[in-house]
Parts: sequence; C-alpha cells; structure tokens
Amino acid sequence: MNILLRSWSAYTRITLRWPGLAAIVPFIPVIALWVAVTESGIFPRAFLPGPVEVSKAFFTLTYKGILPDYLQDSLLRLITGAAVGMTLGIPLGILIGTSKWARRITWPILLFFQAIGDIAWLPILLIWFGFGLTTMTFVIVYTVLFPVVLNTVLGVESVPLDLARAARSLGASRARVLWEVTLPGALPNIITGLRNGLGYGWRALIAVEIIVGTSGIGFMMFDARRAGSVVEILLGMIILGLLWYIVDAWILAPIERATGQRWGLVTS
Amino acid sequence: MKTLTLRNLAKTYFDPYAGAHVNAVHDVSLEVEQGEFVSMVGPSGCGKTTILNMIAGFIPYSGGEILLNGKAIDGPGPERGVVFQSFALFPWKTVLDNVGFGPKMRGVPKAERDKIAYEYLALAGLSHAANRYPNELSGGMQQRVGVVRALANHPDVLLMDEPFASVDAQTRMTLQEELTRIWQERRPTVIFVTHDVPEAVFLANRVVVLSKGRVLDQVEVDLPRPRVWDDLIEDDNFKRLSSQVLHMVRSA
Amino acid sequence: MLVVPSQKQQPQWLTRRLASLAGTAMFVAPLAALVLLWAIVVPLFGINARIFPSVSAVAGAAMDSIRDGSLIQHISASLLRVGLGTLIGIVTAVPLGIAMGVSPAVSTFLTPLFRFFSVLAGIAWIPIATLWFGYGFGAIIFVIFNAVFFVVAYNTLLGVSTIPYALRNAAASLGAGRWAVLTEVLLPGALPNIVTGIRTGLGFAWRGLIAAEMIATNVGLGYMLFVARDFYRTEVIVLGMIVIGALWLLIDRLLLVPLERSTIERWGMVRRA
Repeated sequence: MNILLRSWSAYTRITLRWPGLAAIVPFIPVIALWVAVTESGIFPRAFLPGPVEVSKAFFTLTYKGILPDYLQDSLLRLITGAAVGMTLGIPLGILIGTSKWARRITWPILLFFQAIGDIAWLPILLIWFGFGLTTMTFVIVYTVLFPVVLNTVLGVESVPLDLARAARSLGASRARVLWEVTLPGALPNIITGLRNGLGYGWRALIAVEIIVGTSGIGFMMFDARRAGSVVEILLGMIILGLLWYIVDAWILAPIERATGQRWGLVTS
Repeated sequence: MKTLTLRNLAKTYFDPYAGAHVNAVHDVSLEVEQGEFVSMVGPSGCGKTTILNMIAGFIPYSGGEILLNGKAIDGPGPERGVVFQSFALFPWKTVLDNVGFGPKMRGVPKAERDKIAYEYLALAGLSHAANRYPNELSGGMQQRVGVVRALANHPDVLLMDEPFASVDAQTRMTLQEELTRIWQERRPTVIFVTHDVPEAVFLANRVVVLSKGRVLDQVEVDLPRPRVWDDLIEDDNFKRLSSQVLHMVRSA
Repeated sequence: MLVVPSQKQQPQWLTRRLASLAGTAMFVAPLAALVLLWAIVVPLFGINARIFPSVSAVAGAAMDSIRDGSLIQHISASLLRVGLGTLIGIVTAVPLGIAMGVSPAVSTFLTPLFRFFSVLAGIAWIPIATLWFGYGFGAIIFVIFNAVFFVVAYNTLLGVSTIPYALRNAAASLGAGRWAVLTEVLLPGALPNIVTGIRTGLGFAWRGLIAAEMIATNVGLGYMLFVARDFYRTEVIVLGMIVIGALWLLIDRLLLVPLERSTIERWGMVRRA
C-alpha cells in the first residue's frame, strides 16, 4: 500500500511539472494490455493485430505516401467544410439571435433540419450531385452549420441586455453594438458551437468517405475492411482518435475555457 | 443653458396577464437645470426606473415629451450617459478600454482616448486597475469604473439607475461620498434613481418623490457641501429632511 | 401576441394548458409553413420527381409503406437497435464510471483514456465492427453500444470526480454507510453529467445508426433511404428523412432535454450551452 501511495505522489508531482505526461502515461497500460491480448492468441491475428503490426503499417503507408495523401484529403475536406460552415453560420446566428421574430420562425426549422442529420442527406445528395466532392462538401458544411448557428443564437441571447444598452448610451450605433458587444459576448458559445460542429463534422466525413469514398482516412478504413485487413482499420482509428483528441483537448477546449473564464462569462 | 424637460410624460403598456392596459407613468412633468443633482425616490413600482429608461431612450414613451435642450430625444445616445445597477462593464475589455469606449465611438484615436481614460480613472482613484479585466475587480470598484466610463463621454445629463444597490452597505457609503466628490469637481447634471431615502437626500440638491406613476412632491435639499457621512449622520437638518421624505414615500 | 383572458376569470390549470398548447403551436407553425411552401414550389416550378418529390408523392409513399408494414418494420428495427445498444451502454457505463470516479487517483489516471475513446465514439467504429461481427444486427448494436458506453462512462467519471469532497464527508458524518453515500450523494451529484453524457452519446449513436444501416444491413431507416436511392425513388428518401428528423426530435426534445433540464436547472448546478 505504501509503495502505491509513494508512486502515486511521485506521479502527481511529475505530471504537475509536465502536464503532457498525464495524457500519455495512462495509455501505456492499455498498450501493454493490447500486446498481452494479441500475444495470448485469444483472438486470431486477423481479428486483432498487435501494436507492432499497426506501427509497421503506419511506416509503410507513410513511406509509400499513401497515408499522408489520405490524411491531407480528409483534413482538407473537413477544414473547407468547417470554414464555410462558420462563415455562413456565425452571421446567420447573430441575425437570428438579435431578432425575436426571426428566432421564433427559424428555431423549429433549424432544430428539425439538425435532427434529420447530415448522413440522412447522403442518398438524395448522391442523386443530385453524384459521387464526388460536392456531395462530400455539402454534408460537412451541413453538419458544422447547425451547431454553429444554434450555439451562436444562444450566445447572442446570453449577452446581458444592459451591455448593449450601455454601448448605445456611450454613442455606439446599432451596427457597432453588434461588433463591439454582441460578437465578443457570444464568443464562448460560438466556440462551443464550433467544437460540437467539428465533432459531428469529422464523423460525418468518415461516413461520407466510406460511402462515397475515393480517398481519405474513412475510405482507407473501409477499403481495408473490404480486403479483410484489420491493420489499416486500427491505424485509421488511432490516427482519428489522436488527431481529434489533440484538436479538441489541447486547442478548442482551452480556447473555450479561456474566453469564458477570463471574461467571467461561463460558470462551468 | 442645458436643460432636460419632461412634459406630461406618460407610459402605458399592455399586460397580457391582466388583459388590460397598465399606466406605469402618468402625466409627469419635471425640469432639470444644468449642474443640478436630482434624486428620484418612491416605493417599488412607482415608475421611477421606467422614467429613467425613457429618458435614456431604452424604451419608448406613450405620451407627453422628453426634451433635451429643447429637442425631443430619439433613442439612446451619448448626450445621456447611463450608470447601471448591474455595472454593465464589457467583460472582454480592460478597465482602460471600457472607460475609453465612448471616445472610441466618437472616433478619437487610441493615444488620445487612453489619455482621457487615464484622466478619468485617476478621478476615481483607479489608475492602478487600468489593465485589469472587470471580473477581477470588486463590485465597488466596478461601479466606479461604470461611473467614470459614463462621465468620460461628457454627457449633458448622467442617468443613474439604483447604481449602488448591488454593493454592500459600507462600500455604498464610500461610493456615495466619492460620487459627490466627483460631482463637485465636474458638475454634471445628474438624475439619480433610488429607493434608499437617506441616500437620495445625501446626494441631491432636489429630491423628487414619485408614487404610482405620478410626481407626489419635490423637496429642496440645501445642506452644505462637501457632504460626508460622519458629519451628516448626526446633522439635524439632514435627519429632518430624511424623515420628511421618508414619510412622503411611506404614506404614498 | 396571444391575449389570454384575465386570470381572475381563468383557473390556473387552464392557463398552463393554454400556455403549453401555445408553445407547441409556435413550434409547429413554422414547420407547417415550410410544408406549405414545399407544396407550392414543386408544382410551380415543375420540379422533376426524380429530383425532388411533391408533398402528395411523399404522403402517398407514407400511406403505402404504412399499409404494407414496411415503414413500421424499418422504424422498429432502427429503434430496437438504438434502444438496446443504449440500454446496455448506460447500464454498463454508469456503474463503471462511478466506481472509477470515486477515487481521485483512479479518475485522474483514467480520464485521458476514457476521453480518448469517447472522442472516437460512433461512426469510426463501423469498419472494424463489420469486420468483427459481419454485416447485420451485431455490428450495429456494437457501434451504438460503443458510442454510448464511452461517452457516458467518461461523463459519469467526470461527474463523480467533481462532486465536492465536503458533500461526501457531510454524508459520512451524518452516518451514511457506503451504499447510502452511493445512492444519496454520488448518483444524484453525478446525475446532470450522466444525463448530458447520455444525450451526447445518443446523438453520436443515432448518427452512427443511420450510417451503419446504409452500409451494413438490409432493414432499418438508413437502409430504406439508401436502397430507395438506387431506384431514384425520391419520395421514399424524403419520407425517410422526415421520419428520421421527427424521431430524433421527439427523442431529444421530449425526452432528453427535459431530463437534462430537470436535473441541472432544478438543482441549480452546472450550466451548459
């Protein structure tokens, strides 16, 4: 018991010094478990390859240039879709948030179309645009758009009335109030919207690449499935998980927290 | 001579729960001269905040007129500065940028508006807090920023809506003394809404007592300045005026 | 603006009933207007049925598929999968999450792990699921279970570990044994996070369901949509989309949001966008 306590306090001290470690060390036992399971032969190698094989595949595919290409394709699609989604979504959200009537009219429609979900649009998009980039972009934009709009509206509504009034009584025109008060005030919620949007967005991307696929990580995973090769599937999943973990935990969440907490706006 | 005139001011609105129109303000007439400090007191629901919001331009008025220097007002504007009970400081801007906001709206360049902001912060004794964010300050400090932010814009009239209601009693007394000190230096025209009668008498030249949307009476306060709580709290004239107004309010 | 007769003339239950009716009406009205727009635009611009169906075509498809039972079949298949997967997910994740969250050391250590897996939840598991379980029920249930399990476990873990120690101590000093602390402090304290986790996990699970049904099976709403595409039967596709939207709206807005709101707001705890 004493050893456990001692090693735990040592661990705590080390991770305080290097917080990045706290994110990495817990995975070591998992990988060890993985190795143990695969070595023990409970599952056939064809079902569950070990970390060695996955790493080998990683290096091979990177060396051949396939992995970087696919990664680039996927990321490009996601970023483009997200950029378009935000460019459309934020102004739209502000517009709806500032007008009580626009809000009443559009809110149910927004909720319903968000409920339909991105994937359900795929069949009709395939009829309209075929198996190509347009279809894929549409789905990503659609996926990112709704969380951004909905959260922006909530953000606009959460800005206290007194702030807009204060700005007006200091000489700001209505347009300037939007820029100086509404936008900054809604920012924490906008970032939440972006976070949610991207979270759904990359998942939609994978589904789309599986169904429509010509390239990308999703395509790689499903293609491997068709060939019965688990290694690339696992590789793809690990890459996806790592990428999104890094973006969400180390980029987006801190931004969300920083804007909210710094300005004392968000309670959580 | 800059004056604010309220003439037969009225406000009615439709209350869906009562199913009828409600008169919040009835036929209120008032003249405020430049440099005056007027307090408005009354029981809850007497319409004082409604009147203030109408003067500020935040809500439209249903009848009568509000004239500033002879011209009817139209929506909110920098000539009528406002100090809010909730402070309403912009949480994403530093104290300095908050105070400089009005000048920024007028197009004053950064260097100059920082200078103005520093000047006004010094007036409130807050120079050291210039680069802090509002949520790092105490309530009392935040409200002082609120006051100088409105003043830095040189408004014709300063409207204060129960500005000290959200701070603790001792801070409130400090803020009241600060306000009179600043007022003596700069002499803005002030309309100060409160439900705290001693506060109203302490601060003002004239106390307007409202009840049920009408002006009940007005009381001149001719106590000498500068006014300090330690002195006034024992002063006979202050006590007389306070109870006079208090009676009016309580029997309204 | 809705004018309601004076409260003196109206009993309170009626006021509340009318208010909620008004609320529903305000929600439905814009959607109804949209349907009206749809009914006008399609014939007006002579839009080809192969591009977008008319309202009557979709209504007709609805009638047909209800009558021959196929719609019910697809809906129940989808709901069964999502329901079962979610149930198993919640039942396994919550106890595990609580067990892990109780000890600060364990929860700090395991949080990145569970966060990683909840981050991966849903659609990304489809390829491996179909490889392990083949096409069909098993794979889809696995994807759903997976999505719900990790997200709920992570959120439960988070919820339990953020309960202030003072609450646990207070309970202990009032004589609560371990089981009582669990049911009276830990579970209620973590409940808002658990509900949020369920809502998020279910969102991923639902998306995963539709995607998986397009790829990996021959019954269900996703399948219904995908197969209709092959025959250019846009009226079936649009019908499917409306059903999917309506179903999720019902589940989320009528079940999950009130649940989330009643625990969080009632107890004045964490606020969430």
